[in-house]
Amino acid sequence: MLISFQNVSRFYNDWPALENIELTVEPGEFLVISGPSGAGKTTLFRLIWMGDLPTSGLVEVSGYRSDRIRKGDLSSLRRKLGIVFQDFRLLSERTVFDNVALPLQVAGYSPRAVRKRVFSLLAEMELNHRRSSYPHELSGGEQQRVAIARAMVAHPVILLADEPTGNLDPDVSKHVIELLLEINRTGTAVILATHDPRQIPAGTARYLYLDRGHLANPVSWDGYNQL
Amino acid sequence: MIHFLKASLHEGLLNIREKLGSFLVTLLMVSLSFMVFDIFLVVSWNVGTVLSDEQESVGIELFLREDISEVEAVNLADLISVMEGVRSVYYVSSLEAEAVFRADLPEQADLLILLGPQFHLPSSIQISLHPDYRTSGKVSGLARTVSGMDGVKDVVYGQEYLPGLTSAVDMMGKLVVLAGLVLAISLSLIVANTVRLAVAKRALTVEIMSIVGAPGWFVRMPFLGEGLVTGIIGSAGSLLLTGVISSILSSSIPHDFLPGKWILLVLLLGASAGAAGSWIGMRSGIPKPRS
Ligand SMILES: Nc1ncnc2c1ncn2[C@@H]1O[C@H](COP(=O)(O)OP(=O)(O)O)[C@@H](O)[C@H]1O
Ligand SMILES: [Mg+2]
Repeated sequence: MLISFQNVSRFYNDWPALENIELTVEPGEFLVISGPSGAGKTTLFRLIWMGDLPTSGLVEVSGYRSDRIRKGDLSSLRRKLGIVFQDFRLLSERTVFDNVALPLQVAGYSPRAVRKRVFSLLAEMELNHRRSSYPHELSGGEQQRVAIARAMVAHPVILLADEPTGNLDPDVSKHVIELLLEINRTGTAVILATHDPRQIPAGTARYLYLDRGHLANPVSWDGYNQL
Repeated sequence: MIHFLKASLHEGLLNIREKLGSFLVTLLMVSLSFMVFDIFLVVSWNVGTVLSDEQESVGIELFLREDISEVEAVNLADLISVMEGVRSVYYVSSLEAEAVFRADLPEQADLLILLGPQFHLPSSIQISLHPDYRTSGKVSGLARTVSGMDGVKDVVYGQEYLPGLTSAVDMMGKLVVLAGLVLAISLSLIVANTVRLAVAKRALTVEIMSIVGAPGWFVRMPFLGEGLVTGIIGSAGSLLLTGVISSILSSSIPHDFLPGKWILLVLLLGASAGAAGSWIGMRSGIPKPRS
C-alpha cells in the first residue's frame, strides 16, 4: 500500500474542504479523481505531498505518517513523488534543461549524472530540441510535457497530476493523458485529478468522485454524463 | 555532498544575478553606514591610545623624609612591593634624583648649585600598579594607606586628572559598543528587507524547490549566503573607503588606522549582522508551500 487516508478531514476555519476520507492507493495503480471546482481535489493532493496536514485522521504515504512527519523528512518524502499542476509552474528564468534537472540537483546528484538522466528523458519525451528554450518560448502542451518530465526525472513511485489538462486544448490534452498512461505502464502509480474523467478510457483506471469534500466510490459513467 | 553545495552556490549566484542592481544599492548602503562606524572607530582608537598611554603612567610617587636612611627606605620599598595591586617598586635615592634632574633639565641644573650644597632633592619610592589598579578609587585608596607609613613625607599621584581619565576610557568603550550595536541592528534590518524582497520575488522557485524535495537548508542557503556576502563585502568596502580617507588626512591630522584585530572585528560584525538579517528576512519571507 502506497497511500492510505484513514478518516481524514481537513477544515479551513469551519469549512470542511475534505471530510471523513477513506482511501488507499496501491503501487502501480492509475486513480482518477474527478469532481467540480472546490470539491477538494487539490486539498487531497496537498495532504499527499504533506504541504498540508489533516485536521483529523491519518495520512500515510510511502511509510511517512502525517502525525509523525518532521520537517526534515519532507524532502525525502517528496523525492518519491512527482507533482504536476494545472498551471505548469515552470521556473521562467531557467531553460527547459535546468527546469527538468532541478529535482536531481537539489538531491545532490553529480552534474554528469544529471546531464545523462535529463538528456535521455528529454529525448524520450521528444523535447530534446527544446532543451535550451525558456518556458515562455514553448506552447502550453510543451510546457506541460516539460513539467511532467520534471516530475518524472527522479523516478518517483507516485505521480500526482492536478488537472494537468485544465489549461490545454483537447488534442493537446489527449497527448498529455497518453503520456500519463505510458508512465503508468512503466509501473509508476498515477493519481489524476480532472474535471473530465472521460479522458481516460474506461477500464484502464479506478475512478473516484469527490463532491464538496466527500468521496463517492465507485461512480457510474452515467453520473459523469450529468456533470 | 560537494555537488549539493555547488548546486546551492549556483542558486545563490542566480539569486544575485537576477537583481544585480538592487544588490549593489544594498551593498552601497551597508558600506556607507558602516563607514560612519569605521570613522568613529578610528577616532576612538586614536583617542583611546592617547588615554591608555596616560593611564599606563598612572602610578604613585612616595617622597621620603630626609632623615630616612637608605636601608630604611629599601625596607619600606620591600614592604610596599608585596601590597595588593602593586606591580613593582623602585627606590630613587636623593643622588639619583639629582642625576635625573640634571639629565632631564640641563638648563636648570644651575638651580641645584644655587640652592647650595646642603640642599638635596628628596629620595622617593616610585610605585607602578597592576593595570586593574589604575583607577581613581583604587589608586587613592592605596595612596592613603602608604601615606600613613612611617618615613613618608608626601604622596603624589594623578589626583587631578585620574578620575576624568578613568571615566573617559570607560565612556569610550561603552560608546563603541553602543555604536556597534546600533549599526548591527540597522544593518540587520536593511539585509532583512532585501532578503524578504528576494524571497518574495523567488516565491515560486522556493515553493517548487521544496515540492521537488530540496532540503530546507538548500532552499535557505542562497538567501543566507546573500546576507552574509552583503555583510562582509559591505563592511570590507567601508574599511576600504575609510582607509582611503584616513591616508588622505594622515598628513594634516597625524593618526593611526585601525589595528588588524579591530578590522577583523568590523568584518565579523558585518558578517554576523548580514547573517542575522537574512535569517529575519527568511522567517517572515519564506511561506509554507501552498498549491
Ligand atoms: N488554504 C485555504 N484556505 C482556505 N480555504 C481553502 C484553502 N484551500 C482550499 N480551500 C477551500 O477548500 C475547498 C476545496 O478546495 P480545493 O481543494 O482547491 O478544490 P479543487 O481543487 O477540487 O477545486 C474550497 O472551498 C476552497 O475554497
Ligand atoms: Mg484544484
